[in-house]
Amino acid sequence: MSPLLPISRVRALWRNVFSKSRVEDDLDEHVRSYADLLAAEKMKAGLSPSEARHAALVELGGIERVKDEVRDVRSGALLDTTARDLRYAARTLIRRPGFTIVAVTALALGTGATTAIFSVVNGVLLRPLPYADPDRLVVLLHDARNPVSPANYLDWKRQSTVFSSMGAAEVWVGNVSGDVPERAQGLRVTSDVLAMTGVRPVLGRVFRPDDDAPTGEPPLVLSWGYWQRRFAGRRDVLDQRILVDGTSYVVVGVMPQGFDFPTFWATGVQMWAPLPLGERATLRSSSSLRVFARLRPGVTLESSRAQMTTIAASLEQAFPGSNRDVTVTPLAEKVVGDVRTALLVLLGAVGFVLLIACANVAHMLLARATARQREMTVRLALGASRARLLRQMLTESVVLALAGGVVGVALARVGLTVLIALAGKSIPRAEGIALDPRVLAFSALVSLLTGVAFGLLPAVRVSRSEMADVLREGARGSTEGGQRSRLRWVLVGSEIALSIILLTGAGLAIRSFVALRAIDPGFDARGVLTAVISLKGTAEQPPGRRTAFYQSALERVRRLPGVESASLINHVPIAGDIWGFPFRVEGQPKPRPEDTPFAVYRVVFPEYFKAMRLPILQGRDVTESDRLGSTRVVVVNDVFAKRYWPNESAVGKRITLDPAEDDPVWVTVVGVVKNAVRSDWAAPPQEEMFLSYLQARQYLESDGGHVAYMSLVARASCTPGTRCTPASLAPSVREVIASLDPAVPVTEIQTMDDVIAGATAGPRFTLVLLATFAAVALVLAAVGIYGVISYAVSRRTHEIGVRMALGASPATVVRLIIGQGVRVVGAGVITGLAGALLATRLMTSVVYGVRVTDPLTYVGVAALLTGVAMLASYIPARRATRIDPLIAMRSD
Amino acid sequence: MADTRTNLLQGTLDLLILKALALGELHGLGVARRVEQITRGTFQVKPGSLFPALYRMEEAGWLVSSWGASETNRRAKYYRLTAAGRRQLDAETSEWKRIAVAIAFALQAT
Repeated sequence: MSPLLPISRVRALWRNVFSKSRVEDDLDEHVRSYADLLAAEKMKAGLSPSEARHAALVELGGIERVKDEVRDVRSGALLDTTARDLRYAARTLIRRPGFTIVAVTALALGTGATTAIFSVVNGVLLRPLPYADPDRLVVLLHDARNPVSPANYLDWKRQSTVFSSMGAAEVWVGNVSGDVPERAQGLRVTSDVLAMTGVRPVLGRVFRPDDDAPTGEPPLVLSWGYWQRRFAGRRDVLDQRILVDGTSYVVVGVMPQGFDFPTFWATGVQMWAPLPLGERATLRSSSSLRVFARLRPGVTLESSRAQMTTIAASLEQAFPGSNRDVTVTPLAEKVVGDVRTALLVLLGAVGFVLLIACANVAHMLLARATARQREMTVRLALGASRARLLRQMLTESVVLALAGGVVGVALARVGLTVLIALAGKSIPRAEGIALDPRVLAFSALVSLLTGVAFGLLPAVRVSRSEMADVLREGARGSTEGGQRSRLRWVLVGSEIALSIILLTGAGLAIRSFVALRAIDPGFDARGVLTAVISLKGTAEQPPGRRTAFYQSALERVRRLPGVESASLINHVPIAGDIWGFPFRVEGQPKPRPEDTPFAVYRVVFPEYFKAMRLPILQGRDVTESDRLGSTRVVVVNDVFAKRYWPNESAVGKRITLDPAEDDPVWVTVVGVVKNAVRSDWAAPPQEEMFLSYLQARQYLESDGGHVAYMSLVARASCTPGTRCTPASLAPSVREVIASLDPAVPVTEIQTMDDVIAGATAGPRFTLVLLATFAAVALVLAAVGIYGVISYAVSRRTHEIGVRMALGASPATVVRLIIGQGVRVVGAGVITGLAGALLATRLMTSVVYGVRVTDPLTYVGVAALLTGVAMLASYIPARRATRIDPLIAMRSD
Repeated sequence: MADTRTNLLQGTLDLLILKALALGELHGLGVARRVEQITRGTFQVKPGSLFPALYRMEEAGWLVSSWGASETNRRAKYYRLTAAGRRQLDAETSEWKRIAVAIAFALQAT
């Protein structure tokens, strides 16, 4: 036959699709005329007209059946039957709105939750970083976390051969002068860094090697967002001068929209400036750099690690203590490493919700299939093929699933907004989370698969049903086929088991969150407002004016109405930076370089401990009289005191921060304070020392920008019974600073409560989502149990009627009905607990203060679910006792 | 014999229908009766296989149909072969003969 489609077939296809009613009429007439001819033939053979007609129809085998056979071979048959199945499915679903609404809701919750979480996973984990060949970018740090010293960076860069480029970056927060002075997040980078990303600027250029040691005005590259906001996107921004920290910078380039680098540790950078290492190049102790590199083509991560280990080992030999634990980490891992596990746990959790929704709809369909048994049997008897019935029922469930998917995507759209707000800063790259085509394709696929998954079992069951069985069952009308009811109980049991797993996960998250919130930060965060007051680049920066400015600012803030106490510290806990500083304890042997003790270096004005309500355990606070010229004093925290003077009082002991071997400047411990959290909320406390600002030479005398800002902590006076509103202090604090010098920006104004909330936002995010999913699962499971028991009751109406007529009490009936569910619930709970023991192992790294095998959680979850299950089966059981035996026995 | 009748190979049914129509135009029942007659009752074509076959072959361009009046003056749909149908009949006839000879040889082989 010719490979070409014969013209007759094209015409047929056209006719079948577009003149369908005419084609159908013609077919109908054709079959009927055949029957007439057949009957005429029989009459001729001597049959009576009615006998002839009957015999003709028998020989024909059913007019509809013959028509169906023709429809199946016609061109466009697939299109045609699909359309018919779809119409039929839609009609069936609309005819039963209750069923449809419940099923679509369950599926929408399942697909909606899955879509929302998948879009987060897609945006954060799957979407590649927006750089050229992002997989080849790596970060070099100590212990995958700690910064690197300039000398180490330069040695690594010189000695390594596995990288095609290497550069260093340093955080930089600059005071940008202008009509409204502001602090902008910046990053100082060597010229390799921006070039390494392979991203071209939209305007101007990125840095060149000669920018690493700028001679004239240093160049500046702006982010797209900052360019839009501060320069209204004007193209003549190039070559403009901007005063940052009092230095004039020349704008040389603007990065494209959405560009962010490095997307971890310093995110949302608004401007990049060169990083001239200059005289710092030989420093091996002061570590402030993050080192970025691109793997040379053909070099694997492993071989780059091997080489860096060798280099670090030889440097460590030359400079002991300087090159410990040098790590090479892929940038992508560094960016999302912390949230990967949490997100995967959540993705697993929504998968369970989806499975539960599927199981729910599957047993609803099964129940309905039983009710439709007769319809199906009749259609089978009329000659419909089993394959046709199977296809039609599958079409129905896929339509149901797609409807659920559409509603689910709408839910996900709303949910995502809430989700992103909830995540706060705890999720990196959140700006890239969206319902993009990939996510939508995923949802469509999930809907389709779920439709087939929950539709297949009932469909196969029905299409396989034996006519004789059904008719017999139908005649008796009391109990249903044992196999099918067993399947439904298995589905409900699985729902219960899955819900237990989810509830356990949520329970652990709740317990973990409670434990996290129960951590004593050491200070009393309620009622404290903090703000950064930076003098960089202002007339107040010179050392002479700086101290006076801070002193008068503090004095005025303390006098503000509503302020109970206030002080200044270089970096507040959690929100602020952490500076480590080496020291030596008097009377203890000089340690080897790698064992030099470090402590967090804090510089405070008097009354810091009072404002924070950080209890002084021993000794005293620093005071106004701890100035230059008087004895140098320090307050240390509890772990510090216990570590270096384990069995005696620390007060009166001396340490030195002076590297001089002979006759260093000694500092006397005058007080010991309670441990306070540092930066990682749940990390164990570390040694801290608080020096008096008025004695800290660096702060009093240095010209450097790194000492030209302080953080204000102001405690609002809270009368008992009223709400503490430290945030309301913000305007008056701003006024005070502006009255001293309007060019000084007051930034990062936040309450300590908000700071703590931010520090626990990640666990809270996991908790809220897991709890939501678990709640949905619980509701779905309850609906499932309720549905199955109600159905069982309705099928046993007759039997219950007989029992009651024979004298069974209502209590007996309730026991009978509930008893039916108890075994299934029990089996589900036990399976679920076993599953939870396995599944929650994945959560080990995301829970805090609770073991993943926590018995309380398991017992609580089992009790909760059993209770809900009992309630869900009690309601239909109660209804069963109200059955009137007479009516029940007459039913059917 | 019942199986032979119902499980008529599709190709065989096509060939028989083409052959039946080669002698002149017929309505559906006429085709069935003609096939019965020319196969001496060996093949009884049931409507369940006849109808799909007629529609399939018409779509393939081998047959054309038109409504007309039957011998008993009832409305009936008449089929007749097209040129393509005749070519198809020739092709299938020689193909069938080739197979028949081959099968005959095979069955005679010892």
